[in-house]
Order: sequence, then structure tokens, then C-alpha cells
Amino acid sequence: MSRRSGNHSALLLLVLVAASMVALSFALAIPAFAHAGEANVPAFTDVQEAIAILATQPELMGRAMDKVHDATDSSNVSGVRIDLVKQANTALKAGQAAQALNLLERSVGVCPGAPVIEPENAPRTPPPLSSPCPSTAPHMLALARSPLGGAQEPILIAVGALLIVVGLGLARRIR
Amino acid sequence: MTEPTVSVEKEPSKPVVPQSRRRRLWRALDERLGIEGLQYPVPEHANKLAYSLGGLTLITFVLMVATGIYLTQFYNPDPNLAHESVRRIITSVSFGKFVRGFHYWGAMAMIVLVGLHLLRVFVSGSFKRPREANWTFGVVLAGITATLFFTGTVLKWDQESLEALEHNIEIGKILGRFGFWFSPTFGGVPLLTRLYVVHIAVLPFLFTLVIAIHLLLVKRLKMAPSPFRKEAIPEPTRPFTQHLAELGALALVLIGVLTILAVLAPPPHGAAPIEGIEVTKPPWPMLWVYPIEDWVGVSGILWATLAIFLVLFMVPFVDRSPELSPRKRLPVMIAAGVVVVTMIVLIIYAAVQPVASHIGMG
Repeated sequence: MSRRSGNHSALLLLVLVAASMVALSFALAIPAFAHAGEANVPAFTDVQEAIAILATQPELMGRAMDKVHDATDSSNVSGVRIDLVKQANTALKAGQAAQALNLLERSVGVCPGAPVIEPENAPRTPPPLSSPCPSTAPHMLALARSPLGGAQEPILIAVGALLIVVGLGLARRIR
Repeated sequence: MTEPTVSVEKEPSKPVVPQSRRRRLWRALDERLGIEGLQYPVPEHANKLAYSLGGLTLITFVLMVATGIYLTQFYNPDPNLAHESVRRIITSVSFGKFVRGFHYWGAMAMIVLVGLHLLRVFVSGSFKRPREANWTFGVVLAGITATLFFTGTVLKWDQESLEALEHNIEIGKILGRFGFWFSPTFGGVPLLTRLYVVHIAVLPFLFTLVIAIHLLLVKRLKMAPSPFRKEAIPEPTRPFTQHLAELGALALVLIGVLTILAVLAPPPHGAAPIEGIEVTKPPWPMLWVYPIEDWVGVSGILWATLAIFLVLFMVPFVDRSPELSPRKRLPVMIAAGVVVVTMIVLIIYAAVQPVASHIGMG
């Protein structure tokens, strides 16, 4: 009796999982609706987003260009030098991401190395660039995956390999 | 008259076995700590790798605490200083890059080990009566491990971290009044700083508490029989201390692998975060919710995660037959297989998809 009820419960679980899969398949068909209300987005926000895209994922240049276009089309250009944004657009079309990034930073008065300003705190007109600017903006400071290096690298690899060999040997002996 | 002679019988003297200093020390310790009480019998199958995954998860947790203590000496949980402090750990602190790498790969290993342990317990039916409560504690431990992983990814405070935190805040909004803790304004202390406290104090405390109950229940209810044993004779046993020794040997292998990974492939550190954009994807253990978020919005993360844990909690109440063999529990095995394969497919699908914006989708 209990086995029968157990089997029924198991079948119920199978049906539930199958139903979830069907629901998930329907969800696949639902179009994402993530870009509503873009016209009302301040140009300052669009420029900040373009800066971040270029700084963190320069391979997404197309998305950065979309943001630059949104900025030039925006009805609220407070705090942004649109002429520099347009120059950045030209640089992006020429595939010059670093130059575009520099122009976009200057367009919102962000000297490379200065902290990023929140859109709600944006000044009405871009402040003049301080000179000289620090060499690297903080959002450019990413560290890639690279081996440890130095004298400790071979020692630690040797220690790691020794631990693996000793551990495997001991596990075999104990078993 | 002669006086009777009184003979005094001497007890035969026991041969004095000289005890080594090490043996005497062991006896002294055992007398006070009851160490030999650990030599209780456990079935032979306990020494297989599949039955050591839970123990290895616990060892990884201990390694995480040790490396975490080192990292806390140099990490600053202030949002204005966190990114720079992680950068300093990588570039300036002695062994900082190595310890961070070990912590990172250890976290990955812990996620994989806890997942495999759950799968093993499920496949071998070890959650069945009378071990239903212990399965529940195991699922709670898996939840704590996942939360430790999530909070850890936020603490490094790069672009990916900020986006994870923004999603966390959005989920807090979906929860309404129950999500008050995730509000950036709650308590007057930045959410990053509060998540740091949760990562280094609250979650490790909860993990320790629940693992203690989990282990006590394993001891009390004994190890579940193996469904794969075919011999009719009772299974031979081994002392639990042998299981501990085998775990120690496997721990050496684990430490060795993590050491080499930390040296050759230390984790990258992304750029300092900028608000208002989504240009990154979550790390692979959380990637399975990414497509769901694409389809239904941020709320999909909440509902999908709740659904997975609800299904896990329900397992002992659905699969109630006394049958342990997976071959005789085909419907539940197929159901579990579908769930696991779906999650793997979602992870692969998300990995090849372009980055998308989700915040504001609802």
C-alpha cells in the first residue's frame, strides 16, 4: 500500500517537473521588455552607462554606441557636452574605443581618475577638466587572471603536487 | 614441636610491558577526551569517495574560514574603499593574491561538493525514513553555502558585484515589507558593509550550528545502507577513525588541487563599479537563473530559487517508498535528471548569450 502511494507521489513529482518544463518553454516565447521609456532617460545617465560599458567590456562596442545615440537623442542633456558625445560617436564608428571613452568622460566633466558622479548629483553644466589628470581612471583598474609569478610560484606548485601525491597514496593505503 | 611454617603466597607478577611515551600520551589524552569513542563501527561503503563528499565539504568550509580570516585583515567593507582594498590584497599584501585565489577556488569546490553530496544522498535514497529531518538540515546547509557564495561575490566590489547587489535590492523590493533588510537605507549602514558581516559572522555561525546537528543526526541514525550492495551477508564494518583518516588523505588532495589552481589561475578582479548599467553576468553557479531573468525579469531569480529549494525540501515527502535502489525509483530519478539537465542547459545557454539588462523588468 505504502509502496503504491510512494509510486503515485513519485509520478506526481514527475508530472510537476514536466509541467514546469512546459511553463519554462512558454516563458521562452515571452519577449523581454527591458528598454521601455528610454526617451526620458537623461543624457548624463546614458553617457555614464556608455563609459562603464567601454571601461568594463570594450568588446560590447555596439551597446556603447546605442547608449551614445540615446544620449544624443535625449530631451534632457543637463550636465553633458553633447558636442563631445558626438565626437565620441565618430570615434566609436572608427573603432577607437579608448579615444571614445576619453571623450565621453570629458563630456560629463569626469577627469579620468575622478570618482564617478551619480546622475541625480550631476551638475547642470560640466565642470572644467582639472589638469593634469591622473593617468588611470578607477573604473579602468581591472586585474586580469594571471598566474602568481615570482619565486613562490614553483614552490607552491611543488607543494600542491606533493600534497596530491601523498594524499592519493595515503587514501589508497588506508582503504 | 615444630612451629607450623606460614607460607605467604605471592601473586604472580604481571609482565611489565614497557609503554612508549607516545602510547602513554595517547592513553592520557583518551582518558580525558574519550578519543577512542570515535572508533565506533561504520559500514565499509562509508570509505568510498561518494560517501566522503559531505566530509570534504566540511573540510572545505574550514579552509574557507582559515583563508577568510587572513583576508579580513586587509579587506575594507566601506563601499568607497572596498574595491581598492581588494586590489591591494592582490597587488601588495604578502601571499594576498595566493590566499584570495585559494579562497575563490575553495568556494567553487564547496559549491560543487555540496551539490554532488546532495545528488549522492538523493540517488542512494539516504534521505528516506528515518533520515528525512537530516535531509532537511542538509538542504538548509546547501542554502547557507549558496548564500555564502553569493555574498562573497558581492564583497570583491567590482562591476559584477555591484550588479549582483542591485539585483539583491530589486528582490528585496519584490519581497515588500519582508525585504526591508535589503534596502540600501536600512540601519544607516551601507548594504555592502552589512553583507560583509553576514558573510564573515552570521552565515559561518549558522553553518556551524546546522552542521553540528547534521553530524549528530548522522551519528544517531547511523549511516544509511548502500543500495548498490548485492551480497546477502551483512556488510563488514570499519572504525569511524579509519573514515576520518581517509577524509584527511582526501583533504590533502583537495588542498593540493586548490593550491595549484590558486597559483596558476587566480581569479580576476573587475573594474570599480559604476551604477545604473548591466554589463556583466553572474559567476557560473548562479548563471542558471540568468536566462529565466531574461524571460520573466528580476522576479524570476526569486521564484526559480524558491522553486528549487521547495522541490528539494519536498523530496522525502514525495519519494516515501522504502525502496533505496535508483532502478526501482525510476520516476523520481527521471524527474531529478530532468531538473539537473535543465540547470546545466540553462548555464550553457546563459554563457553563450549576450549580456542583457534586467533591472526594471519587474
